[in-house]
Order: sequence, then C-alpha cells, then structure tokens
Amino acid sequence: MKNRVLNTSISASLTAVVVVLWVMLASVPKTSAIPAFSRKYGTSCTTCHNNYPELNDFGLAFRKNGFKFPKDDETFVKQDAVLLGSKAQKEAFPEALYPGEIPGTIPISFRYEGNLVYNGSQPRQVVTNGGYVPRTDLFVPNTFTIISAGSFGPNFSFWIDDDISAGATGAGGGLGDGWLKYNDLGHFFHLPLNALNVRFGQFELDLPFTNARTPYLSGYDSMGEGALAQNACGGTALVCGTTNNPFVLGTPQRGIEFGGYPNNGNFVWSVAVVDGTNSAYGTGPALTARNTKDVYFHTSYQFNLERDSESRHAIQAAGPTGPHDHTSLRAGAFYYHGRNQQNFGGSVFPFTGTIEDPFYRVGGEVRFKYRSKFELYAVGLHSHDDNHLVDTVAGTVTKTNAVTSTGGFVVGNYWIFPWLIADLRYDFVNSPSDFANQIPLTEGRTRNRFSPGYQILVRANIKVVGEYQRRWGVPYQNGTATLFYRPNTFVTGIDYSF
Amino acid sequence: MKLANLTVKAVLLSVAVVLASVSSFAGDIKGKVSVQGLKSAANITVYVDTIPDKKFDAPSQHVVVDQKKMEFIPRVVVVLQGTTVDFTNSDPVGHNVYWPSISGNKKLTHNLGTWPKGEKKSFQFNDLGVAPLLCNVHPEMSGYVVVVATPYFAVTDKDGNYEIKNAPAGKYTLKTWSEDGKPTTQSVDVSGSGATADLTVKK
Repeated sequence: MKNRVLNTSISASLTAVVVVLWVMLASVPKTSAIPAFSRKYGTSCTTCHNNYPELNDFGLAFRKNGFKFPKDDETFVKQDAVLLGSKAQKEAFPEALYPGEIPGTIPISFRYEGNLVYNGSQPRQVVTNGGYVPRTDLFVPNTFTIISAGSFGPNFSFWIDDDISAGATGAGGGLGDGWLKYNDLGHFFHLPLNALNVRFGQFELDLPFTNARTPYLSGYDSMGEGALAQNACGGTALVCGTTNNPFVLGTPQRGIEFGGYPNNGNFVWSVAVVDGTNSAYGTGPALTARNTKDVYFHTSYQFNLERDSESRHAIQAAGPTGPHDHTSLRAGAFYYHGRNQQNFGGSVFPFTGTIEDPFYRVGGEVRFKYRSKFELYAVGLHSHDDNHLVDTVAGTVTKTNAVTSTGGFVVGNYWIFPWLIADLRYDFVNSPSDFANQIPLTEGRTRNRFSPGYQILVRANIKVVGEYQRRWGVPYQNGTATLFYRPNTFVTGIDYSF
Repeated sequence: MKLANLTVKAVLLSVAVVLASVSSFAGDIKGKVSVQGLKSAANITVYVDTIPDKKFDAPSQHVVVDQKKMEFIPRVVVVLQGTTVDFTNSDPVGHNVYWPSISGNKKLTHNLGTWPKGEKKSFQFNDLGVAPLLCNVHPEMSGYVVVVATPYFAVTDKDGNYEIKNAPAGKYTLKTWSEDGKPTTQSVDVSGSGATADLTVKK
C-alpha cells in the first residue's frame, strides 16, 4: 500500500475528500436542549441534561413521555396551555371536535454554535496540488438553529428544528427533524403505557446513539459512511460498478415510525418505514432518484444495575450526594434494509432497465453508565451493498462482489466535576470499497481517528467545547515517492441556547 | 391604726405585684420593613439578636420544609438554634437537599441526600447563621434556613409587615436578614404594650 504510486490529481483529491468529509460530518443537522421546556416548567436545563444535548435518565423519560413529566405533569407546568376546546367536549365526540391544546407561549428556542479550527501543517506538495486549507479559521462552522418542540395535550408531541444558518455566514442549513408523534397508541389495544407509539414526518432514526444530539463537535464517522463500487458508474469507465450509494445512517429521514418503551423504558423497540437518504424527490439525479421504501428496526434492553431497589425503580437513581443516572448496561441491535435504484427507463444505460442494488446496515450497541460519573458507549456497524458490473461495450449487467465496509466507535465520558467533562473517542471505518477505488484515505486504508475532548458547562446553557482529532496518515505524492501526513485538527468553540 | 397599717401594706403589696408583673410583661414587636432596591419586602427575616446571659431551650416540635412543585415551601424559615427541621418531599420526582455552607462557613456544608415523594429527612441546626438550601436535581430551587439565638423572630409578609410575638420587656437589638438585602440593625425598647419598629432594608 505504501508503495502504491498515486498521481498528483489523486493526492489532491484525497485532501479535498478529507475536507469535504469533515465539513459534511460537521454539518449534520444538530438539535439540542430545549430552553422552551425550561420556561414551561421553570426548571434548569440540568433537570434533563448532564451534558446537553445528551439526555440523562430523567430527560429520556421526559422525551419518551411526549415531552411531559412522567408523573403528574400538570402540577409542574408554570405556563398553562391554551385549550382548543373544553375537556368535556370529549363526551360530545364525534358530534364535536375532539378537544386539544397548544402551548401557552410559543415554544421556540435558539442555539448557536461557533468553533475555532486549528489545522495541522500541510506538506508543500499538498498545498501545491490544490489541497490548501488554512491553519486557523475562526468560528467556522458557525451554526444558528431554531428549535420548536412541545406537546399538544396528553398524547401528541412535536419537534421541529432547522439550521437557519450553517457552515458560514448566511449559508443555508435546512430542516433537521420535523415530526408529530402520537404517544400511547397501544392504549386502544390494552397495551402497557407507551408500549406502542407512532411518529410521522422527518426524523433521525432511532439510532443507538444519536448523531443529531451528540455532545461532540463532530459526528460519528461510521454514521456518515456511503458506499462506492470500484470504477463506479458515472465516470468514463467502459466497465463500471453500479454501487454508488450516498445513503448514510446518521441523516434525518422522511417516514413513519412505530415504537415503544414498555417495562419502564428498559425495553425499547422501533420500526420505521422511510424514504432513505439516497432518495431524491422529484427529478433528482438519475443515480439517486428511486421509488422504493426502506425499513429500519432497532431494539435494545437496559439492565438496571442499581443495587438499591427504590433507586432502581425511580426515574432517576438517588444517592447520598444527589440524583444520578442509573448504573446500567444497555445492549441492542439494529438493522436497516434499503434498495438503491438506478437507470430508470434506461436513462444512463439504454440497453437495460432499472438496476436495483439492495443494501443493508446491521450493527449492535453497548452502553454502560456508572451513575452520573462515567459513560462508555460502543457501536459496531457492518454495511453491505449489492453490486452489479455494467459492461457498456458488451451491453451486459452481471452481479458481482458486494461492496462492504465495517465501522463504529467507542466513547468514554468522565465527569470530573458536574461542569467539566473529559471525553475520549475512537472512530473507525474500514472500507475496502474506498481502497478498491484507489482512494485510501489513510495509511491504514480506513478513516480511523482518536478524538480526545472536553466539555465545560460555563452555565447550564453555555458550553465551551473542544476536540482534538488525531487521524491516520493521508498519502501524498512527493516526486515518485508516496509520503504520508496527518491532517490533524483541533476544534474548540462556544455553544449556547436560550 | 392597725387598719391603716393593713391598708398601707395592701397597697404596697399591690404595687409590688404590679411592678413585678410589669417587669416580666411580654409584648409584641410589630412593624413594617421597607425595601430600597429590592423587588419585594416579602420573606425578610426580623429577629431579636442574642441576649447576653440568656439561653433558650430548643423547641421539641420540629419545623417542616416541604418540596412541592419544585419549590421549597416555605422559602425562608427561621428557627431557634437547636431546632430540628424536617425536610419532606411532596413531588412525584426525587429531590435532594444540601447546603454548601452556613453563613459562608463551608465547613458546615451538609448533604441530606435524595429521596422520593412521601419520605422525609431531618436535621438539627445547632450553628447560628443562614443555610442556603439547594437541590442538586433541580438547581433552580432555592430556600433558606435562618438559625437565630432567640425565639423572638418573624418573617415579613408580601407587604413587609411582621410581628414578633411575646417578646419580654426590655431593650434589644433587632436584626434583619434577606436574600438580596444588606442586614439591618435597629434598637427596640419593648414595654408592656409592646413596641413598634419600622426598618429599611437596602440592597
């Protein structure tokens, strides 16, 4: 691998790819803590977050309950809702409209994130080949997000977040999540509370660890991994692979999701039917527009390791120094199945019809929490894309080796103080398809990196966050020699919401 | 003559009894606290400061501070040194009670822990000063236990009025404590008919 000769255009494009990937991951829509809830309940952000936007046990229970306190919600509300019909109107239903309610004040919150980036030095050859990135960049990415979330009465809840400005001044961000959820649909079937709920709209899949609500400055690499065949179609190759799947797991999708959290939230399940992130609506590019729907399934179970039985059953475990997340171990698995369709009506290859490449992503997760002091997360992910070989000369399409990759991450968070958190993360992506395409992004053929970082809660709603991304070596050409350099990056910035 | 003597003795005895009763007469100290630069005159503690050579036994009855709708109720409570306070929880969420210091003395910090609805934890306050009550589940919650040396104290109502019951006649120093105001000191002379003392608390 180290002896592989790379031409200058490839080495330049490598740097570009790294930069594009970094920007892409950094621009994954991010949602956050909801100060509107603080106003509604007159409570601090820390009621639901130990390190926003990550939810603590109470925050999870609050979210699962449709953004309401798990018990006696009305007694805590400081801003009364506006009734859209008397409660007694239920008795007149269906002759009258079923009564509902809207929040008493518009539940809007804002979040700003601005980061300072310090890049490692680049070899002269990389700069010469057009891969120049500045050593420092102040407050880029620079994201302003508007968030609205709340409940419409006892069963309906909603969420909308939109990055009004992302990446840089005035640059458009876009809708992150926008959904409506009906809690406790299972009530009609005599199921336990919240055992069956349904959600409609655009939402991040019920991932093992949210990419949108991650407290880290960068998204998980494995959640942003696409699939590309060797000599993928779309170029000038006469024989090309059809796998050219831009699908990534960590991006919000449009769809319908059924899910539930019976057994006090220890058991969690969800099934979603979604459009797929590789589906372009309307007249999208020929290689991405498609009509099929994807299916996602996720389930996990939490083993509550609190010794004290009362704490075990409380929403938050109680200790002598205050509440904390339960000491617990959660294990789960997820599976995503989709279908990448191309060449509709022979638009690219007139000699054949629609080419279908089914794909799946499968993985598992483990999460260990030791009270509010330490967390250890791990996710493993395997991706598999069917692949066809198109011979444009012979006019044939034959099935060939699938494009696969593996990836995941391990994260440890340690609370030195309630306001000072140290974290260490290891991301790994082992993608032979990248290698097959002669774009080995690092000397390890993978996109592995260590990312030690810190999070300082200056106030409950103001954070200073930092992350050092230490990467494997990226190849570049110096004459006939292939050398490597590390495009390491240090990012730190401010993050506040109100 | 004997009758006259008896009459004089009776009068003298009556005067002595009246004088004795006047010297031990307990009166009320009433007044109004005005504020300058503070939002409200409510919840200001007014109390009679330490009386030299006078010790008071702590009451056997406990004082209760509840946690309801994520608030300490009452927000400010004054207790005589040695009083036991019962901290209850009426909320369906867990609450914690701790104080980081008593009047700034961090050695007197104490954490009672966290407990669910329906349970209580008690603490005997033996140190004079102000214990700021906090809940580390809900950082917005705030309350105060003001520990004083005499049983003559009161907390102002929303208009700043206060009334200290049954203060014995004598000259005392009246003090105030409030969340945001500076302490105020004022002399008060309690007679048989009580006393009136209006105070001003400045930010």
